[in-house]
Amino acid sequence: MPGDEGWFDRFVNGLQESDVFKRLASLVLVPFWAWRMPVKPLPGGPRPSTQPGDNLQCMMNLIMPLKIKSPIGRAEAAKAIAENKDAIFAGLNNVGTVHFARFVIVGDNICMFSVYDGDFTNYIRDFIATIGGVFNAVVELAEGGEKVIPCECHVEAFIEWVRARDLYQVPDTITDFLRDQEALNGDKAIPGNDDLSLLPRKLILQLRANANVSLGSGYRAYPGFSVAQVRKRLGIGW
Amino acid sequence: MSAVFKFADVQGNIVRGYRHKPRVRHLVLEIIDRIAARRWLAACASGGDDVPRITTGDWREVEPVTCFNIGLTYEGLRALGTPDSSLETFPIEFVEGMNARALKLGDVGESAPETWPAPFNDPKRIHIVATIYAHKIAQLNQVQHQALADGKALRLLGAPPDGCSFPHDLVHFGYRDNITQPRLEGVHEADRYADGQPRAPLGTVLLGYPTNFEGLMWRVPKLLGHNGTFNAFRVLKQDVAGFEAYLDTAAQDLLNQATVAELLPLGADAVGRGLSSHAALREVVAANMCGRWRRNGTPLALSPDTPNPSPAVHLTDFDYVGDSRCPYGAHIRRCNPRGGHIVQRVANNSRRLVRRGVPYGPPYDRAQHRDPNQAEPERGLLGNFIGASLGAQFEAMSCDWLNLGLQDPRITGSNDPIVGANDSLTGWFDLPLKSGKTIRLRGFPRFVQTRGGAYTFLPSLEAIRFLGSLKN
Repeated sequence: MPGDEGWFDRFVNGLQESDVFKRLASLVLVPFWAWRMPVKPLPGGPRPSTQPGDNLQCMMNLIMPLKIKSPIGRAEAAKAIAENKDAIFAGLNNVGTVHFARFVIVGDNICMFSVYDGDFTNYIRDFIATIGGVFNAVVELAEGGEKVIPCECHVEAFIEWVRARDLYQVPDTITDFLRDQEALNGDKAIPGNDDLSLLPRKLILQLRANANVSLGSGYRAYPGFSVAQVRKRLGIGW
Repeated sequence: MSAVFKFADVQGNIVRGYRHKPRVRHLVLEIIDRIAARRWLAACASGGDDVPRITTGDWREVEPVTCFNIGLTYEGLRALGTPDSSLETFPIEFVEGMNARALKLGDVGESAPETWPAPFNDPKRIHIVATIYAHKIAQLNQVQHQALADGKALRLLGAPPDGCSFPHDLVHFGYRDNITQPRLEGVHEADRYADGQPRAPLGTVLLGYPTNFEGLMWRVPKLLGHNGTFNAFRVLKQDVAGFEAYLDTAAQDLLNQATVAELLPLGADAVGRGLSSHAALREVVAANMCGRWRRNGTPLALSPDTPNPSPAVHLTDFDYVGDSRCPYGAHIRRCNPRGGHIVQRVANNSRRLVRRGVPYGPPYDRAQHRDPNQAEPERGLLGNFIGASLGAQFEAMSCDWLNLGLQDPRITGSNDPIVGANDSLTGWFDLPLKSGKTIRLRGFPRFVQTRGGAYTFLPSLEAIRFLGSLKN
């Protein structure tokens, strides 16, 4: 109860607002909490749903740290994409389930962001079957990528590798990430009231385990339509 | 990797339908003693007197009197003490098991694994699913007794109801099953089976061979994988009374539609001599749901207006090209779009499965008088869906094609009319008309409910002997 707070409560609650404390907490307190209360990284990808319409326009946010962390590494990545531009366009057409796909370099990471329809595994597998060579050219430059290429010969391992690098999508309702934590830990107890004053610690630890995340699962101006449905309505063939 | 294929190394149920053995029993088993279980496996593979011999694809001259095959779950492989170096190379969907993959398979609501009865409510204990095929129940009992005789290796957790084939390959709902299976390169002679579809590469059903995706190979689990394959075993309860009642309702609703005549362009008599419009429309709806007319299996792709075309049409020599009047959402077209135009152009012919299904429960007789206070006996199908990659075939088909309709924009957002996870509030199905228009059936309910199942690995005979010889 706010009315019951004494001066000490007010002092402690006020601490988190101070810059000195925030810096100190980042260095000492967060690693200590993480040691006391280990938090598993949450898996990436869209939230599973049984409503057919929810499984359209899914977002993939793939972050792959480059092996060579310098302008040379970044230039290699830029070159690999440019060299494969035609194959990428042809591949997108043949796979048929991709709305948009982008390659972005952020820091020393090559990122692939896409919006696709249906099941993630099928999407990646169809891509391997269509333009596996492009994946090979990109993944070769990424940390740990050498273990899963050529992707045509390591289909299952490649798909798992990609899934492991797809960002966790923090639910639109922020307390729902607690449900994800509980599910991951196999915790079947009925959740109590989610005390928002406790939220920061759990959220901080989760963002320590999942350093990069997608906030929400993306905004859609026309949800529930597949690529082929859009193309059909536009009369451009599918 | 060897390209040489030996029938004797492959379990018989992968390459043969055992169609002369109408009765089937699936024993769900737990390994209680690792050493005894290994001995049991070794004996089953080589054929001792005191255990049933595993039926291989090579029968020599004489068909065995009874057939016996086994599938192992991931927990079963672990229970046998399979080396980690091998376990680590099994695909994730098999490791996780069917219960954990429920969302991908549409096993939600009344089909959710949490609602499955024993023994399927405790998947960690399911280690082996052994299947017996025979003519008579006494033979099933005898083989079961023989399989469990030593009492030390295995514990029977339970068995779903026995399956028993109906005459003429009919199954519940009145459809004809077993019309077509993938014909395999190097196994089936091309000219023996008229079929509009290309022969399936051996890698469709066996690990270690080329797949339908050019240049792609599935990972062959170390030590055990070669000549093995995976099986999705499913106990699928069918609401036959609900299905027949729905046909009544749908036909009645259609009679009130202005365009109803388009559904019977040759008249009700063409659907069945002496049928009323209502009775004929019931058959039209049922045929459109499946893509084949009930009873005789005539495909709508070749005969959209009558189940008895003259001249007769081939049952499986067709493709969905041009303006086929088989609905895009019909069950057989969803499961296997053949060479038809689909969204995922690389996926044509890539998700085919060998299906071994046998009905359980008594046939439903619509004419029979019923006591409304008495519950209907349970009816359904014991289904085995066999393919070298559960992920690329069974699951891919289930999630994107059966329960999303991703392959064609005209059905996207709907579920398969027969096996899909339909919801009677939101489900729909479109009946195509000759004019190109459609009539949408709304409030389409769910007719098939999953009551159990397991992902199993069907090892080669060599792999079974290897498991039998493990020491540690």
